[in-house]
Parts: sequence; structure tokens; C-alpha cells
Amino acid sequence: MSAHDDDGIFRFVDGIDRREFLVRGTGLISATLLAACNSRGPKAADRLLKYAERKNLVLERKLFRHTSMDVVQAGANEAGNKLPSYYVSPSVPVWDEAARGKWSLEVSGLVANPARLSIEDMQRLPQVSNRVNHYCVEGWTAVETWTGVPFTELARLVRPDPKARYVDFQSFDDNYHESWDIESAMHKQTVVAYGLDGSPLEPAHGAPARVYSPVKLGYKNTKYLTKIVFMPVMNGGYWSDQGYEWYGGV
Amino acid sequence: MQRMKRHHWIVRVTHWVNVLAIIVMVGSGLRIFNAYPAFARKGEIFCCYPFEHKPIPSWLTFGGWLGGARHWHFAAMWLLVVNGIIYLSFVYLHGEWRDLVPGKGDIRDSWQMVKFYTFRRKDHPHQGKHNALQKATYFTLPLAGVLAVLTGIAIWKPVQFAPYTALFGGYVWARYWHFLAMLIIVILSVAHVFMVFAVDPYSLPSMITGNYDPSLSPEARNARPFYHLLPRRAAPPPAAAPPSGTPT
Repeated sequence: MSAHDDDGIFRFVDGIDRREFLVRGTGLISATLLAACNSRGPKAADRLLKYAERKNLVLERKLFRHTSMDVVQAGANEAGNKLPSYYVSPSVPVWDEAARGKWSLEVSGLVANPARLSIEDMQRLPQVSNRVNHYCVEGWTAVETWTGVPFTELARLVRPDPKARYVDFQSFDDNYHESWDIESAMHKQTVVAYGLDGSPLEPAHGAPARVYSPVKLGYKNTKYLTKIVFMPVMNGGYWSDQGYEWYGGV
Repeated sequence: MQRMKRHHWIVRVTHWVNVLAIIVMVGSGLRIFNAYPAFARKGEIFCCYPFEHKPIPSWLTFGGWLGGARHWHFAAMWLLVVNGIIYLSFVYLHGEWRDLVPGKGDIRDSWQMVKFYTFRRKDHPHQGKHNALQKATYFTLPLAGVLAVLTGIAIWKPVQFAPYTALFGGYVWARYWHFLAMLIIVILSVAHVFMVFAVDPYSLPSMITGNYDPSLSPEARNARPFYHLLPRRAAPPPAAAPPSGTPT
């Protein structure tokens, strides 16, 4: 803008030339809207958004309570076969026993007593069935009953080091994994599930075992588990690394 | 030309910050909604939304993709909340709420405004700072904003704040009330912008400079939408006195 325009700005601010004000104002607003529509927004905002995400993460971890429980509303129907099946591999991941041997779950990392559990081993551990909501990042919810080992029981078995502040849930669904804060993993409603709605978990929903907790959005709940690793630092995740919030807490 | 101070600078600043916050919140919210443009829990049907599974036109959305829109939404929510608290505190402490809170006779006055706008009344009803319809709008908008924030918290943390979310009827209904609050805000804002341009464009600079010329007010111009947009000319000199006596 040239110095020549100074007078125009002055009149603009003083509200004398209303016609010019309207013309300029409408132009400015339309240009902003056109630039904004269905776009990701200005690139310069990325740092601000990252900053907000970090601050929100701190706040959300402070808000987290082990005593807060998900409650299914009275009269809510179970989703049953309306529960969407979802994985990142091109087709339903199925554990190939012939090629890879019998499936087992490795629980390791910063722990005193690493363990490798078969489905039968897991079924001998204390069992719970939680009828809870599933909160998808897309906005839908689904009521389901998940049967499995409470995560706290697995932790009791392997005795994590106090420095293990994070847990990584890894899978055989390509390279899918998601890491969690330890407090969400230790929530009472977090289970390593091998049953859904009274039946053994099917490949469509993460067989042989998956993590399930209503305190995390769906994408944090890794299916097709192979490893649970206790860690001193966070380890991102499949969707977290692609720009979804790492915390994904509900 | 007369001039009076109409809007305190805090009102002007919070107004334009609010424009930005609402555009970002509504646009990103609609982009998030489009990831599942329905309210029904999986395996159920939802009674009360006629457009289940029909996405919002993408040109009305902002954020580009679900994750991006969520980042915008969870960042701009602080702008909306902090700005809203500053505005409401100011309006309360500085006495401006008296121009906005509905009072006795506002329903009657609103009806008179409707009659005026629909040509069933000739002269603009007498008003204070705002006419009765404006008062109702500027009173309802912050209420809808508060509802949007309260229901937003309910769907942000439906497990951590489960008893609170239950106050709104649970997650599914809280998400619905959140959508309706957005709809109220959008409808009233669009009506507001339309009326600014169609009835009182002179009020637009006043939201920037704070100055307003009462001789150009809609009441002074007897202005309806698109009628009497220009200032009234000086009144013509009085006509010669009519002849006395009765015509025969």
C-alpha cells in the first residue's frame, strides 16, 4: 500500500466515506471467506494449532480421573453387526498360524517380568465383560460388550517400572500401532478383549485380541494385537503420526 | 451531521473476534459433522433429524479434513470462550445489558416491528438503542453461544464428565443440542448481517469506529429492508395554508 493511500485509510477509520468503507470491507470479507472455504486454513496457523494441541493435551491429562466411568444410557441398543469393521491392511488381517506359528501376545518393555501369553493363558487370567460405548473420532457411538483381561491385571503380571509412563499397543495389521498415556491404560474399563457380545472376537473386529477402552477414541484402540510395550516416552501411532490428536481421550 | 459514541471499544473488539471465532467454529464443526453426518447410535435410528447421512456441502466447511478440522475446533474453542467471557463480563459490569435483556412490552414491540416490516404499519416504532427484534436477537445469540459451549464440553468429555453429559440426555442428544445451538447462531447471524446491509448500513462503521449518527438511524429514516436506505432530505417548506371555508 502506497503512502498515497494514507488519506483513504484515515477516512476509512473515521467512518466518513461509507461507500468506500463498504466496498473495501465487502471485498476483504469475501476474499477471506473464499480463501478459507473448505481449505485447511492458512499455513501460518499450523504452529498455533500445534501449540493449542499441546496445551489441550496437558489439560486433558489433568482432567482424567480413574473414577470417571463410561455409562451406557438406559434403553440403548447394542450395535451388533452394525459395528463397522475397520483395518488398514487391504483385506481383513488374519493371523496365519501355518506361517507364523501359534499367536501369542508379548507384554514387555520397562517391566520386571516380561510375559508371552497365548489366548488360553489370557483366558485363565481374571475376566471382565464391559458393556460400554465406543466413541469414534468421526462422531458416531456404538454400544458393545467387550470381554477380556483388565489391563491392570496384565500390568500386575509383568510389574511395570515406575518410569514406564506410556504404553504402545502394536498389531499385525500392517504397521498399525497407537501409544497411550499409562493412566488411560490403567483405567478400570480398559481391557485386552478376546470376546465381543458373548462370542469370541472375530477377525473383522480385531481377533485374536485387541485393546478396548471407552476412555479413548476408536483409533487409539489397536486391534490385532501382537505386542504391548511399556515405555518411558510416547511413541506416536498410526493415525497420530498422520495428524490426528495423539491423546484421543474421551 | 450529528455524532454519538455508540459502542465501547471492548464491544467492538469482542464483536469482530467473535466473527472470526464463529466462522472457524461453525466451519470446522460442520467438517467434523460430515465425517458422520447423522446422529443415530450405530444399530439405532434417530427420531429428530430429517437429513440423516446427508453431508453438509463442503464449501460451507473449514479445515480440509477431519483431523485438521478437529485441531481448528479445539483451538478456536478457547478464542470463543475467552472472548465470550470478556464480552459478557463487560456487558454485565458496564450496564449495557439493560439495552439487551428483554423487558416489559418487548413482545408487543416486536409485533409492531413485524407489522412495520410487512407494511402493515406506516411509521417506524419508537425505539431505544435497538429495536425489539434486535434486542431479542442480541439476547438470544449469547444464550445460544453458551448452550453451544456447554453441549460442546459434554461431547468433548462424555466419559470423564459422564454425569454432566447425562444432563443433556447423553452423548447422542448432547451432540444434537450442540448442532441446534450452532443452527440458531447461524440463522440469527445471517439475519443480523442481512439486516445490517438492508436496513442500517450506517451501523457497520459504528462497530469499527464506535461513532453513530442518530439522524441516519432506521427510525429517523423510517427504513424497512431496502426501503429508505438513503438519509431523508430536509423537509420541504410547509405548503400554503389551505383556503378556509367549506367548498360548495
